[in-house]
Amino acid sequence: MIKYIIGRIGAMLLTLFLVMTLSFWVIRLMPMSIFENPEVPPEVQQKLEDRMHLHEPMAVQYYYFIHGIVTKGDFGTSVKIRPGLDVFDIIKERIPPTMLLNFFSLLISIPVGIIAGTVAALKRNRWQDTIISFLIVIFISVPSFVFASLMQYCFTFAWPLFPTLYNAQAPTVWVAFSSMVLPIIALSLNPIATIARYLRGELIETLSSEYMLLARTKGLTQREATWNHAFRNSLVPIANTIIPLITGIMGGSLVIEKIFAVPGEGGLLVDSILAGDHFLTVALLIFYSVISLVSICVIDISYGIIDPRIRIGGGK
Amino acid sequence: MIIEDRNHLPQEMNDIPDAKLALAQTDYTTDERFTTEPIGFYKDAFRRLRANRVSMISLCTILVIVVLALVVPNITGYSYTEQNVKQKNLPPKIPILENWGIADGTRTLTNIKKSSLDDAKRFPEGSVLSIINEYTVRKTEVVDIKVDYYAYCGAPETEYHWFGTDYLGRDILTRLFRGARISLMIAVISVVTNLIIGVIYGSIAGYYGGKVDLFLTHLAEVLDGLPYIVVTILFMILLGSGMLSIILALTVTGWIGTARLTRAQFYRYKGREYVLAARTLGVPDRKLIFRHILPNTIGPLITRAMIAVPGAIFSESFLAYIGLGIKPPEPSIGILLSVGQEVLLQYPYQTLFPAILISVLMIAFNMLSNGLRDAMDPSRRGEA
Amino acid sequence: MKKTLTLILTLTVILTLALAVSASAEKVFHTYMNEDCPTLNGQNSVQTSVNTPASYCGATLYRAVPDEDGANFHYIGEIAKDLPELVGENTWRITLREEACWANGDPINADTIIYSFKTGLDPQLANQMADFISDQDITILNAKAYNQQTAEAPVDWEDVGIKKIDDYTIEIITESEVSQTSVCSHFTTRATVPLYEPLYEECLSEDRLSSTYGSTAETWMCCGPYVIDSWVYGSVQSYVRNENYWMPELYNYDKVEVRIIPEMNARVELWEQGGLDYLAPDANTIETYIDDPRTVEYASATVYHIDLNCQNPLNPICSSVNYRKAIYHAMNREVIAHDLFGYQEPSGTYVNGQAGMFSESGLTYRESEYGQAVTAMVEEWGPYGYNPELAREYLAKAYEECGVPEDTVIELIIGYDPSESYWKATAEYLQEEFPKIFEGKVTLKSTTYSGTSTTEFKKGTDEWDLSPNDWSRGASRTYPYTCFYYYLTSYASHPNNYFDDEFEAQYAVCDSEEVKADYDRMLQETQKLEEIYLEKVIHVPVVQDVTYEMFSDRMVLPVETYLPGFGWGLIFADIEE
Repeated sequence: MIKYIIGRIGAMLLTLFLVMTLSFWVIRLMPMSIFENPEVPPEVQQKLEDRMHLHEPMAVQYYYFIHGIVTKGDFGTSVKIRPGLDVFDIIKERIPPTMLLNFFSLLISIPVGIIAGTVAALKRNRWQDTIISFLIVIFISVPSFVFASLMQYCFTFAWPLFPTLYNAQAPTVWVAFSSMVLPIIALSLNPIATIARYLRGELIETLSSEYMLLARTKGLTQREATWNHAFRNSLVPIANTIIPLITGIMGGSLVIEKIFAVPGEGGLLVDSILAGDHFLTVALLIFYSVISLVSICVIDISYGIIDPRIRIGGGK
Repeated sequence: MIIEDRNHLPQEMNDIPDAKLALAQTDYTTDERFTTEPIGFYKDAFRRLRANRVSMISLCTILVIVVLALVVPNITGYSYTEQNVKQKNLPPKIPILENWGIADGTRTLTNIKKSSLDDAKRFPEGSVLSIINEYTVRKTEVVDIKVDYYAYCGAPETEYHWFGTDYLGRDILTRLFRGARISLMIAVISVVTNLIIGVIYGSIAGYYGGKVDLFLTHLAEVLDGLPYIVVTILFMILLGSGMLSIILALTVTGWIGTARLTRAQFYRYKGREYVLAARTLGVPDRKLIFRHILPNTIGPLITRAMIAVPGAIFSESFLAYIGLGIKPPEPSIGILLSVGQEVLLQYPYQTLFPAILISVLMIAFNMLSNGLRDAMDPSRRGEA
Repeated sequence: MKKTLTLILTLTVILTLALAVSASAEKVFHTYMNEDCPTLNGQNSVQTSVNTPASYCGATLYRAVPDEDGANFHYIGEIAKDLPELVGENTWRITLREEACWANGDPINADTIIYSFKTGLDPQLANQMADFISDQDITILNAKAYNQQTAEAPVDWEDVGIKKIDDYTIEIITESEVSQTSVCSHFTTRATVPLYEPLYEECLSEDRLSSTYGSTAETWMCCGPYVIDSWVYGSVQSYVRNENYWMPELYNYDKVEVRIIPEMNARVELWEQGGLDYLAPDANTIETYIDDPRTVEYASATVYHIDLNCQNPLNPICSSVNYRKAIYHAMNREVIAHDLFGYQEPSGTYVNGQAGMFSESGLTYRESEYGQAVTAMVEEWGPYGYNPELAREYLAKAYEECGVPEDTVIELIIGYDPSESYWKATAEYLQEEFPKIFEGKVTLKSTTYSGTSTTEFKKGTDEWDLSPNDWSRGASRTYPYTCFYYYLTSYASHPNNYFDDEFEAQYAVCDSEEVKADYDRMLQETQKLEEIYLEKVIHVPVVQDVTYEMFSDRMVLPVETYLPGFGWGLIFADIEE
């Protein structure tokens, strides 16, 4: 098992390196120049570009890029969004709200999704299932920005339960939390529906399989059989959905952050891509990839624990 | 009696004249011939699907929407680009329903100065239906009024926009179904492409395992390491907005999930006894993959594809929201939703109709996929 | 369990209430910005959002303050002690207050000011707002030359018209004769907020080519009536009173909270709930508020216009003046202004409605007989210059001129930023209209760019024909002709690529000393300039911006009406519960 874990972590680091390389090349080859300040005299422009090694061949630039990250943790400086500021500092400053938002919505959506999916599967074709299935479909099909706007209208305006916008300077934890409630819920709806939907399908399939019958025959109650056999088996494919879920939540937060004015990474990423702030974009891509890779790694390892057959490289 | 095939008999046996031979067994033992028609797996699946009422309703709904998407833009009497800026943001007005007070083309205008009600240029004769509320703000008399918005905008009595008009006075009904056409096209094409790539990739990785699996999985992981939304945005910027770029952008990493799922299913089934048996009998790899293992993954794959359709429409609307959607004046459900979201407070119906359509479409897809999954469940073969 | 929960809930409610009560004792002004500031350093960002922290937390030599009766405004010295004094030919003496100091108590003196201006004009640092120091309401001697010097033709700082006389006196030498008001007004922009030398030097890169001064609240020193209490980028900026400020009696708020709210819906919801004291409705929301007694409106200094590309390789007639005229006459400005931009004024001319209002006569150019003559000329062509007939005629001429066969269909490209919904609507409208007006000979395709500026978009490609723009020049309030400043070859990042010698010559005439000295003559020459502009169609004017704003009932504004160049004096307003 330890060997497996070490292997996975090694693979993750390798992947990260490849991701870094890929994002560097893709972004830097984009048809946008790095400096576009017409006021800057050509010779100063030249010097500024020299400072960032922009006149060197791409391969040399790539060396400087990797060298800077590995030796100094230096991702370069922002040139457009917040000119002159170290990219790493910009990202660091915005981690807390993003993390809170993403973490809480993941924390909510996994158990809620699992419960909803299980209930729907166990009460198949009864009213509980109908309601849950209906909600699942609504949550999956209506884009989050419509929901977020609607919720903002309903719960902050028509019926003011929560503050309209994220409060970055909340005096108390409660105030801060209450301003996060709506974005978190808006962000969780889709993942909840995704998990519930998937689990419902899986459970229904496993509940009708032979080993359940066997479990019943050997004297387990329906509850025990469901819990010990069906449930555990159904969790395997669920792990499959959780990886895209994490990136999905991060994607959703790009939109939600804008609507609720949350100063997080999502809005920054969109801005920086659109503005062509290359160093910031590359760094943000790496940031997002690290998160997604770490979660993949964690899930893979737990995957290996839940179902050892599935380990990567298991042979024919 | 005649021995038909003598070729493989030893020579000396062939030499024995027929007359010297007699049958040892005189009565035939044969299997009873099937009198019923044979039912294949898919035929059975289809039969069960047909018996499932919900699935059939869903299928019909999808077909109806597809037909509407093809037909409606041509019969509303408006084209999807036809503008009339003087009649912009008209509320819905539908014949018959209007008599019941729903969709009757009226709107409530708030914060109107009482004095401006006399301005016949702004409020033409008969446009003000009733005064709802009168109050004073900063010593000015202000009213909330209910107006016949069509008359207010100078639209003739006979003008009907079932779902209202947008910010350029374009008919939303026409645009909505035109948009549904585009969105469905984007979704179906990208999902099918993803499915094909993903299945092939996943099958290879899952079936062969070992080093091949290690390599392929890591390659997929590298691609997947780049967050999906980010890659999509990058691609859109790289290729410029347009339908083809959206489809490509949705394909770049979209297939990975399918590949992952296929691979997992392969790991599940490739160790099963029947596969081992087939392999022992010398069935080639290709046949093993496509004939013996892949059919098991069809159920989950269909479920996945059905989720991927709303997923693709979702991504399309997300791109539209951040300004990277398809090019105007072409509509899509995403474009309509994102435009509607901007004016949600003023004209909620502009969000309502696209939201309803997208939901109905998705409910239908999901219910159909449920039915399909049940129908294709091998363990339930032969059930009614 | 239930008990503890109730207890916690009660406690939070009490706490929230207590906080709410304690907060209401303070006068807090709640306002918003659409986007956050990239930096607080007013010298190095062209984003208008930087104005907000600069005006609340920065001080300038002068400041515009409302009159006692609220009918008008005047300038007082902020860092300066008195109004500038003319001591020689084009030489203005500015004495500084000895009590002026930074938020940390360090004194602000002549050295501070000289250092700030010198840094602002530094040729190596190439600050984006250097123009606003050298050449805005007044033109400082040799300042622009110093800023734009090259290695071959160096300019010495000694030659620049900014001199230190003693520790609390400086002198400014202008290139031409200017009024006292112009001098005051020049030294109120955010580019002239002084720099805190120790911090600036600390933030300077080793090669002295760039500085991170102002990129965070910690790397910027306040010296205005307020100091930055906190700055959460992309969310909120809040300011509290500066204990060391020398004229606190002018200001009433105890605290200013500026939220960054990108979504209009959220702004409207907050406003309706009383969470904002200020709201500027956009094209979509103005419908709801157009009749609201709280809504105020005024014509701003912006004329939205469309730049034309004369070098598009895909467009065979792009270099023809007749083509530009055809486009000019094909704009149905009434519809665009009223229905697409939302209750704005159509405009077939480019000199804005505020141009000239700071002149001694106070008469705007548009109101003068000269401006009226141009307007009348435009009206002769059709309502605000819209005339499909003429447009077709000119297109035919253009085809002929460029030797293009008559039945050619030309596809024009309009590039716009999709976040500007009014331009998006206009582009879609024109896309539908052009084929109708030109009988199918001209079609319009749209392409969008986000995040980058229009200048960057145009720099990147030649393949565009129409591109919306909204640049305006504040100096036009004094000298109307300066509206055209950006369309000269001398302006480095000009948005157009069409230049005309006659036009430039006429601009030079307007800009000459003798013409500037005679106001009536200047208006007359401006009329000629505008006529040449229309004759050559340097670009296509479309809409005169009308700004709508609303203030909450608890705001007590210091002025009666909107004053151009001063606005509503929000910083001096009071809050009454």
